[in-house]
Amino acid sequence: MTNRNNISRHYTKWGYIFVLPFVVIFLAFNFYPLICTIWYAFCDLRRFDNPGPRFLPTIGEPWYRNFQQVFEAVSFRDAFKNTLMFFFATTIPEWLLAFWLAAAITDRRLGIKGKTLYKTAFIFPKLISGSTLSGLLLEHLVMFTASTVGFVYVAAMINGFGFEMQDFKFFFSNRFLVIVVSVIIHFGITFIYAVAGITSIPVEVFEAAEIDGANRPQTFFHITLPCMKPIMFFISVVALVDGLGTSDVPSAFGLFDTLRLCLTMNMYIINQAYMGSYIYDRASAASLILLGLIGIGALVIYFVFIRDKDEAKLRKMIRKEKREAKRLKETA
Amino acid sequence: MSDSTMTNTMLRKNDLKLKIAVYVVSIAIVLLILLPFVLMMAENVLHPETYTMDSTGRLTKIVYNNVSVINSFKNSMLVTVGATFLNVYFSSLTAYAITAYEWKLKTVFSNLITAFMMLPNTIALIGFYQLTWKFHLINNLMMLILPAVATPLTVFFMRMYLQATFSMSIVESGRLDGASEFRIFNQIVLPMLKPAMATQIIFAFVSNWYNTFVPSIILIDDKAKTLALTPSPEWLLVLPPIIVYLICSRFIVEGVALGSVKT
Repeated sequence: MTNRNNISRHYTKWGYIFVLPFVVIFLAFNFYPLICTIWYAFCDLRRFDNPGPRFLPTIGEPWYRNFQQVFEAVSFRDAFKNTLMFFFATTIPEWLLAFWLAAAITDRRLGIKGKTLYKTAFIFPKLISGSTLSGLLLEHLVMFTASTVGFVYVAAMINGFGFEMQDFKFFFSNRFLVIVVSVIIHFGITFIYAVAGITSIPVEVFEAAEIDGANRPQTFFHITLPCMKPIMFFISVVALVDGLGTSDVPSAFGLFDTLRLCLTMNMYIINQAYMGSYIYDRASAASLILLGLIGIGALVIYFVFIRDKDEAKLRKMIRKEKREAKRLKETA
Repeated sequence: MSDSTMTNTMLRKNDLKLKIAVYVVSIAIVLLILLPFVLMMAENVLHPETYTMDSTGRLTKIVYNNVSVINSFKNSMLVTVGATFLNVYFSSLTAYAITAYEWKLKTVFSNLITAFMMLPNTIALIGFYQLTWKFHLINNLMMLILPAVATPLTVFFMRMYLQATFSMSIVESGRLDGASEFRIFNQIVLPMLKPAMATQIIFAFVSNWYNTFVPSIILIDDKAKTLALTPSPEWLLVLPPIIVYLICSRFIVEGVALGSVKT
C-alpha cells in the first residue's frame, strides 16, 4: 500500500503541469478583467478620453455613486424586471417541451423514427445564428406567431366568446413574440443535452422499471431524472447563464422598443458601455448586479442538484469523530 | 384490475395517442424551422444577386469585395479553428488532471471551476476591453484565440464525462509499457473522449464563428475583421458550421456513459 502511495505521489507533479496552461490563461484573460470590472464599479470612468479609473472617494463622491445611479435609472429597473420575466417565461416552457420530447423520442417502447432529422432541425437555429438567414428565420417565426395570434383573435371575435381586445393585449405585445421565438430558437440545446443524458442511463434500469409496472410519468420522475442529475446541473447552468444574459432575440426588436418592453440587463450593459455612451463605471456596476443575480440562481441550482444531503451529513459526522478522537488523545 | 389484457390494450391506446402527439409536435417544429431555410436557400441559388434597401428606400445591388471577403474568411477560419482546438484540447487536459491525479488543491480547483463556469461573458468584458486597450492589442486576432484555453464550462463537461468512463487501470497499463504521461493523454485518453469532444466542438465552433460582439469591439481595422463582421455571401457564412455539425454529429454516439455516475 505504501509503495502504491509512493508511486502516485511520483505522478502528482503531472497534475499541476497539466492544469498550468488553464490557470495562466484564466488569470490573465478572465480573472484579471473580472477584478477590473469590480474595481471600476467603485471608480469614476467615463467618456472616451478618460484619465483612467479614479476611486470615487478620492474625487469627493460617495463610493456607492454608480450603484445609486443604476438603481435610480428607470431603464435599469425595467431591464431588471424584463430579464427576470423573460428568464422564467422562456425557461419553463422550453424545459417542458425539451424534456417531454427527449423522453418520448428516446422511449424504446414508442419507437419514434427520424431522430437524426429532429436533432438536426432542433439545433439548426443555433447553427445559423448570427447570419442574416437567422434574422430572416427569426422574422419568419415572428410572422408565424403573430399571424397565429391574429387568427385565434379573429376566430374568438367571430364566435363571440365574450373576449375583448384587452384580453389579447399581452399576446399582441413584443414580449409575447420574444418569448415564443426564444423558446423555439433555444430549446434545441436543452434537447440535445437531455437526449445525451437519457441515452446514457443503462437500458436495464428502464427494463426493471417496466417489469415492476411503472408507468411513463413514474419512470421519468423517479428513474430518468435522478439518474441524470449531473447533466441536469449542466443544463440548468447553461439555461441560467443564457437566460439571464439574453440579448439576441430581444435586441431584434430594439429599434422600435421605446417603451422598453424588451430591454434586458445585458442589453443595458452593452448600451451603457459600447453604444457610444462610454459610461464604463455605471456599466460595471450593472454587471455586478447581474453577477449577483446569477450567483443567487447558482446557489439555488447547487442546493437542488449537486449537494448530496447524505454525503454532507456523513462528512459532518466524520469531522465530529475526528475531533472527538483528537480530544481523547489529548486527555490521554 | 385483475384483467391484465384490458390494461394492456389501454396502455397500447395511450401509446398511440402519445406517439401521434410526439410526431405532430416534432414535425411541426421541424417544418417551422427548416422550411424557411430551404426556401431561402433555393432563392439564394436561383437569384444569387442580393439587394438591400438604401437610405432613400431604393433597392440597390450589393457588390461583394472579393478580396476583403477572402481575407475575412481566412481570419474567421484562423480564429474559429484555433479557438475551438485550444478550447477542446486544454479543457480535456485540465479535466484529465482533475480526474486522474491526486494533488493537494484538486478539490478546491474543481470547485472553483464549477463556480466560474457560471460567469457570463459580458461581465468581465469591460475589464477585458480595458486590458486590450492598455496593452495595445487592438486588431490582434490572438486576443480572440488565446482566451479559449480557459473555458470552465467545457472543463466541467469533460470532467463529467471522464468521471463516468475513465478507469485508472488504463493509465497504469500505459505507464507499464513505458509511455510518458503526455503520451498517455494524447493517445489513450483523448480517443476515449471523442463523443464529448464532438459535442463541445460543435458548440465552440458555432459560437466562435458567429461571434460578433467581442470582435466588433476589438477588431477595428478592416484587414483584421472576421467574416461575420464583413458583408459577405450568405452561403459562405452558413456553410462551415453546418459542415462541422454534419461531421461531428456522427461521433456523438448514443448510449455514451454520461451522467449515469454521480459526481
